Amino acid sequence: MVSLLSLPIASVDFTTLPQQLVNGLLLGAIYALIALGYTMVYGVLKLINFAHGEVFMLGSYGALFTAWALGFGPNGNAAQGSLLTLVLMLLGAMAVSGSMGLVIERFAYRPIRNHPRIASLITAIGLSLLLQYGGQVFILEGKKQSIPEKVSPYQSNIDINIVKPNEKLLEEAKALQPKLDAATAAFKEKLKTEKSEFDLSPQGELLRDEVDKLTKEQRKLQDDSKKGSVLVQIAQGKLIMLAFTLVLMAGLTYLVMKTKMGRAMRAVSQDFNAASLMGININTVISFTFFLGSVLAGAGAMMYSTFQSAPIDTFSGMAPGVKAFVAAVLGGIGNIPGAVLGGIIMGIAENLVSWAGYSNYRDAIAFVILISVLLFRPGGILGSNKVEKV
Amino acid sequence: MKSNQLTALALGVVFSSVLVGCGSNSSSNAPEGTTGTSASNNTTPQGDVIKVGIVASVSGDNKPWGDDQKEGADLAVKEFNDAGGLGGKKVELILGDSGSKPEQAKTAAEKILSEGVIGIVGEVSSGNTIQIANSARSKGVPVVAVGATRTDLTNDGGVWRVCYTDAFQGPVMAKFAYDKLRLRKVAVMTDMNLPYSQGLSESFVSKFKELGGEIVKTVSYESGGKQAPEYSAQLTEVKAANPDGMFCSGYFTEVGPIALQAKKAGLNVKLMGGDGWDSDQLLVSGGDAILGGYFCNHYNSGDNRPQVGEFLKKWRASHGGKDPSTTMAALGYDATALLLDALKRAKSVDPKGLSEAIEATDGFKAVSGDITLKGMKGNPNKRAIIVEVTKKDASGNWQKFAFDYTPETIK
Repeated sequence: MVSLLSLPIASVDFTTLPQQLVNGLLLGAIYALIALGYTMVYGVLKLINFAHGEVFMLGSYGALFTAWALGFGPNGNAAQGSLLTLVLMLLGAMAVSGSMGLVIERFAYRPIRNHPRIASLITAIGLSLLLQYGGQVFILEGKKQSIPEKVSPYQSNIDINIVKPNEKLLEEAKALQPKLDAATAAFKEKLKTEKSEFDLSPQGELLRDEVDKLTKEQRKLQDDSKKGSVLVQIAQGKLIMLAFTLVLMAGLTYLVMKTKMGRAMRAVSQDFNAASLMGININTVISFTFFLGSVLAGAGAMMYSTFQSAPIDTFSGMAPGVKAFVAAVLGGIGNIPGAVLGGIIMGIAENLVSWAGYSNYRDAIAFVILISVLLFRPGGILGSNKVEKV
Repeated sequence: MKSNQLTALALGVVFSSVLVGCGSNSSSNAPEGTTGTSASNNTTPQGDVIKVGIVASVSGDNKPWGDDQKEGADLAVKEFNDAGGLGGKKVELILGDSGSKPEQAKTAAEKILSEGVIGIVGEVSSGNTIQIANSARSKGVPVVAVGATRTDLTNDGGVWRVCYTDAFQGPVMAKFAYDKLRLRKVAVMTDMNLPYSQGLSESFVSKFKELGGEIVKTVSYESGGKQAPEYSAQLTEVKAANPDGMFCSGYFTEVGPIALQAKKAGLNVKLMGGDGWDSDQLLVSGGDAILGGYFCNHYNSGDNRPQVGEFLKKWRASHGGKDPSTTMAALGYDATALLLDALKRAKSVDPKGLSEAIEATDGFKAVSGDITLKGMKGNPNKRAIIVEVTKKDASGNWQKFAFDYTPETIK
């Protein structure tokens, strides 16, 4: 099929590059949050928790139900959310995810912890499918849901002009506004007596054409003023998302590097048996690791569905889950800074692919990057390249 | 013979209720003339019901459509059976769930074909219907598609539809965008996972260019859980191209989030789309951002055709006074009613007779318009209605009639 939509040669527009890099960073931060869960569990248990994407999915439901409980549901009457609403949603999502993580670890993984590792892997995949398809039956009939926009009071955009637009032309465009307003008002007045907006009398058409002409003039000036300008626009909500993410990551680093529990986690990840001989309660440490990873996934889920407006259903954990898993492997699975780095690389790479005009290959690129990195550094970018002795 | 028929009717009522879902392979090829006697002589229920299949997306992403299609079809079958069925024989509708996925649609079609259905109603999506048609064609069973608008769907025969095609729908939106919305620079966003979306985008693009408009950007995404529902990268590119409008040819499941994210990215353009937008879920996922968008639909509840009023009355009676939430209810009803109407006219009650009768349909009074399939290669000549997305009113209506085109006015 010769399609107009799959032209092989794409055009590249350098004025949108900074914007795409910022988009990529913001998306990458979410991937990083999810990737941390994969990497921590792997670090401690050498288990790839394939149900992590579903923990993420349940976290977004946690955020959704919290929003509904606060009156933002289909029949709710809450008017406008505040920072408190967002924090409550975040806590709701983290609570749901965290407790799910604990339940999964206790009932699915712990009983088979001493069995061959393949058993845990199969269990993880089974659990993932169970939550996806079981959820279709039990959660809201499997219908797609969205978090209502109004939960967030931060709706405006922050504009950063890297190369400023032509001020003079912009002024001229602005000067046309009163004329345009008058013409629009006249047309609107006339419209009341018309049959419909699309079936106008000759007089109505004249008025409409006047509005058209002025709009076009203004548009042209605005377009011309923007020529060569470079603008980065960041939604306030996404900036808050990034701030939340950074705080969580800093907290995690502190927890792992500076606290007693963190030291225990690191010990367990180095040597399971030796750690237990040193008096570390393995069960507690593993449960805590699962909890921590799941809580981060829950936070990521809340922000993803609220600030990136991603719809929620029981399969919605799959795509981000896979991306985050790739990010974790890319950065070096088991390595915490590696997961963050991997996530951000993935986010940026995805956006650059769209920027280059190949939006259809967004996901393929994730795996191309993964394969090419693993060819040269099998342990991942920051991972240790340790050969396992048999 | 008359008393035989009455016995058959009585038996039919008893057995059809007892043996629903029983997988007995009925010999559907039995000629009609003999079934009356065979039913009274034979105590097996095989000859007492006529099995008609339906494949619908009663789970998965397109559930809002699939449910409506199924319930519309149920309504048509109930009406047919209440009116006495076919010479006393009842029609039994056998459901196969496509799960909104082409591969599952194929399995579902093969399952109901193995149960011996003589015709299939379905599906709402083109990708799924292609699979159903391929399976049904090899057995010679006719398929009446509900909302599958992809143009080349009917090329190989064996498929008839009750909706218009994308070769019509795309140009309708292009003409509306150019003439009525007076847009000149438009961006196009296509779902590469849907044959429907690709075909619709193509027909829109070629007509819009022919009219003198400019396509300033084409971007794409993939639905079906393969890609995270995050479109900021594509939308940034669209915004940089500075269009007046954006044509989103995908389904409501993705268009809602796209609209919302477009608004957040500061992209203020007129949004347009095809009949894939038609579900009130669009308002859930699109929020205020989708309001004021235009899309092409098959019929409108406010239509003054008598069939529309009658249909709505029947629907409300069985749905607690509510209107259907998508057009697929009316189209599902139309497709089933058309198939049953053909069944009445069929020379023999088997796939071949039914196919011939469907092909001979002439001026069938359907809810969504009069349908003539005779000599049309499966594609009826129907008008398209363009509606504006508005907030839901008290009766649940959220589509405001804007304009309509017929195949004659689009040329």
